[in-house]
Amino acid sequence: MFLKWIKFENFRIYDSATIEFSDGLNFIVGGNGQGKTSVLESIYMYCTTKSFRTSSDSELVRFNCDSYSFDGQILDTVNHNLRIFYSLNEGKKTYFKDSKPVHRATEIIGKFPVVLLTPDDHSITAGYSLERRKFVDSVISQSSEMYLKHLLDYNKTLRQRADLLSKIRETGSRELIDQLDAWTEKLVQTGVELISYRRKFINELDPFIKKSYSLISNKKEAPSIYYKTISDDQTDLSRFFLAKLNSLQKAEIAKGANLAGPHKDDFVFFINGKELKTYGSQGQHKTFQVSLRFAQFFYLKEKLGKNPFFLLDDVFGELDTERSVAISDFLREIGQAFITLTDFSNFKFLKRSENDRLISVDKGSFCYG
Amino acid sequence: MQIAAPLQAVIDELSKFPGIGSKTARRLALYLLKRDISEIESLIGAISDLKHKLGFCTKCFNLSESELCVICANPSRDNTILCVVEDITDVISIEKSSEFNGVYHVLGGVLSPLNGVTQDDLKIKELSERVMRGGIYEVILALNPDTEGETTSLYLARLYKDLGIKITRLAKGLPVGGNIEFADEATVGKAVKGRLPY
Repeated sequence: MFLKWIKFENFRIYDSATIEFSDGLNFIVGGNGQGKTSVLESIYMYCTTKSFRTSSDSELVRFNCDSYSFDGQILDTVNHNLRIFYSLNEGKKTYFKDSKPVHRATEIIGKFPVVLLTPDDHSITAGYSLERRKFVDSVISQSSEMYLKHLLDYNKTLRQRADLLSKIRETGSRELIDQLDAWTEKLVQTGVELISYRRKFINELDPFIKKSYSLISNKKEAPSIYYKTISDDQTDLSRFFLAKLNSLQKAEIAKGANLAGPHKDDFVFFINGKELKTYGSQGQHKTFQVSLRFAQFFYLKEKLGKNPFFLLDDVFGELDTERSVAISDFLREIGQAFITLTDFSNFKFLKRSENDRLISVDKGSFCYG
Repeated sequence: MQIAAPLQAVIDELSKFPGIGSKTARRLALYLLKRDISEIESLIGAISDLKHKLGFCTKCFNLSESELCVICANPSRDNTILCVVEDITDVISIEKSSEFNGVYHVLGGVLSPLNGVTQDDLKIKELSERVMRGGIYEVILALNPDTEGETTSLYLARLYKDLGIKITRLAKGLPVGGNIEFADEATVGKAVKGRLPY
């Protein structure tokens, strides 16, 4: 895939501006608040229909304007003209692919795969389990629509079942407990599906994590991931899950909440057998985060048969020279990437190759150099 | 802007309809205004008959003009096969297929704690009475394959599992005459998982 150009109209800081990309590395350089990340944001929106910075489209409209749009062209097997248009008055965003409106996000998700690495990734290795589940769910969902449907189904079941549990607590009705059995069975059925997808995913990701880690760090360190779910035993998972829920029934009713299932899963990261979250240095955290995103890249590439776009937002600032060089040399081999930097003079060591492009961003306009 | 009260009243009533906004309601009201009075009276009569002449079948809760609906009253229908559906519209869909010669049971919804729907709000007690009375060979659970529909099916399957009755559900998979190419991934996935011997 090759994103050739984007033309912005009233998007964020941009009034009217066109940016042309190289099919190799694109370094987008500028001071704070000049619109670097907005470029990555627009690429991400082409791939997922959503922004990674905000859930409110009205925030993306340039000050004092009433709509935004950005047109662009992606060469996949053929050229695709993409356009995203949002009108403040109608409060509606429309995605056009080759002049035809796209009605569902699922028509786009996975068509133009994307990998985004930002400083916020710190929460994946250092934050709550929720962040790790979000990472895993988003990667599997990009490669499997089936998984996305199971996930939505499971989340709906959780909400229904939690509500029923609180109703049982309030009324103590015997009949509601009969109904609970059906919701429990539904939770087990869908939950076991999620667990088997996640287990398979972690197994498939493992070699990619190891490969990525060794590319970035020359230290002899072995990363691994342990998938922590209701049971390690795969053969009788349904029966075990059901038994667990039955044993927790009193507690679940008392709390009015779902106390066991894949919504409590965690993914524990290790380096040389030591838990990263407890024993890892800042550098090891950072290397692990970058490895996860590279592993995501390889995984999506294998599943979807094309190179995802690689977006790196303000990442080199936090890495030492050695790792930054290793990453950029490596990116050059895998396809098109977009990298934001505050000041290129600090990154002279990056050694630009002929095919790389340096794009300076200043108050919403671009120049190449 | 002021609109004559009788016209506004019709607009307000029509706006309550599903899928009808205030602009469409206004167009419809103006359309009605231009019609002949006999047409209007015939429309009023037809709508009024909906409530006065139609009720529910006492056996299956399908729409009916008499105590038993046309399906339950038909002696050529197979009373040993019972098809459980969520709503009256599902009866219409299955009837249109002409593939089913059994009888129905309309639940009137599905279990949904979030919407306050419990088994007492559905015609489950009446279904159980029909099943317990005997003479039923098969119960088809033809509920929608969404979260609530599947859970309701699980609930009913558990309820009748020890009665020695055949309990089935509708197949999931490709639409007939459809192209695999155009089916969404999840549908194709279900079709592959639920494949049948040839």
